[in-house]
Amino acid sequence: MINSKKVLIIIPAYNEEENIENVVNNVLEENNLVDVVVVNDGSKDDTLKRAQNTKATVIDLPNNLGIGGAVQTGMIYAYKNGYDIAIQIDGDGQHNPKYIKEMVNKINEGYDMVIGSRFVEKTNYKQTFFRMLGINITSALIKAITGRKIYDTTSGFRAVNREIIEEFSKNYPYDYPEPETNMKIVLKKKKVLEMPVEMRKRMAGKSFITPIKSVKYMIKVTMSLMMAKLKLKEY
Amino acid sequence: MIYYLGIIFGIVFLIFILNLVKKNKLDEKYSIVWIIFSLGILLISIFYELFMKISLKLGVYYPPILLLLFAIIIEGIYIVHITITITKQNKMIIKLTQELAILKEKVEEMEEKNDKR
Repeated sequence: MINSKKVLIIIPAYNEEENIENVVNNVLEENNLVDVVVVNDGSKDDTLKRAQNTKATVIDLPNNLGIGGAVQTGMIYAYKNGYDIAIQIDGDGQHNPKYIKEMVNKINEGYDMVIGSRFVEKTNYKQTFFRMLGINITSALIKAITGRKIYDTTSGFRAVNREIIEEFSKNYPYDYPEPETNMKIVLKKKKVLEMPVEMRKRMAGKSFITPIKSVKYMIKVTMSLMMAKLKLKEY
Repeated sequence: MIYYLGIIFGIVFLIFILNLVKKNKLDEKYSIVWIIFSLGILLISIFYELFMKISLKLGVYYPPILLLLFAIIIEGIYIVHITITITKQNKMIIKLTQELAILKEKVEEMEEKNDKR
């Protein structure tokens, strides 16, 4: 509980055996008033056991659902267990848990969603060319469709309030979910804040981005952003 | 000659499909399209002269093209139908996986509590 709000930290983890214990422990050292749930997304390595060594609740998906399905599982858990705020943190240690408290404060101030952003202010975070290209294109697309500029469209460091927990537990894209959900929330006229955060280099293991995946990513995300505008009328 | 082959193929295909349904390897729902397909081949093979006349009336001077056109349209529609089904099933699998994992965690937690007593 932070300011009498039940806060859940959701950590999706796929093959993060080298990082997961540190990530969980860092979160709890920084803030022992939150609950942590690790969603093991069908990892092939020792992630499950390592996560169970920590104080976190571990939800073990029998299949690999991808990042969207894993995060949504955390959202369903948060919704069912009455959490007021859910904060998603990557399982690779890129996100510094020292920002959790500030994110919670911002939600308490009335924001519906807070995005931990690398680019609102200049930080020394270095990106690969393709990642940057992807972020710039999705950012421009979201600006064109909604009129609102979101700088760090792919950030997986996000806090949401109860209303959006409910929404996400019902609807959440399966792959590359961040840009699409950011745009949807903006389109629904929710209050979104981009909060500057410093991100660290991932602690161990490899990032998933290759040029071919980047092209697939761009096609899928462009498509989903354009469709999201049309789909919105159904809700 | 090709017309006899068509008739034979149609009959064999029809028996193959009906057999799959009988063995519960294919849902009745999905078999209907294939039954219509094999009946279509049979009918065209048997009444090929009528089929030729119809294609000429439609302005298709090489009748097999009309056949191909029909086939492509029908297969296209059916493939869309199948991808819709896959999408639906995918959603169901994801939902099931999520609910199962959450329940699993709950059961383990309850067992732990019981062990402590």
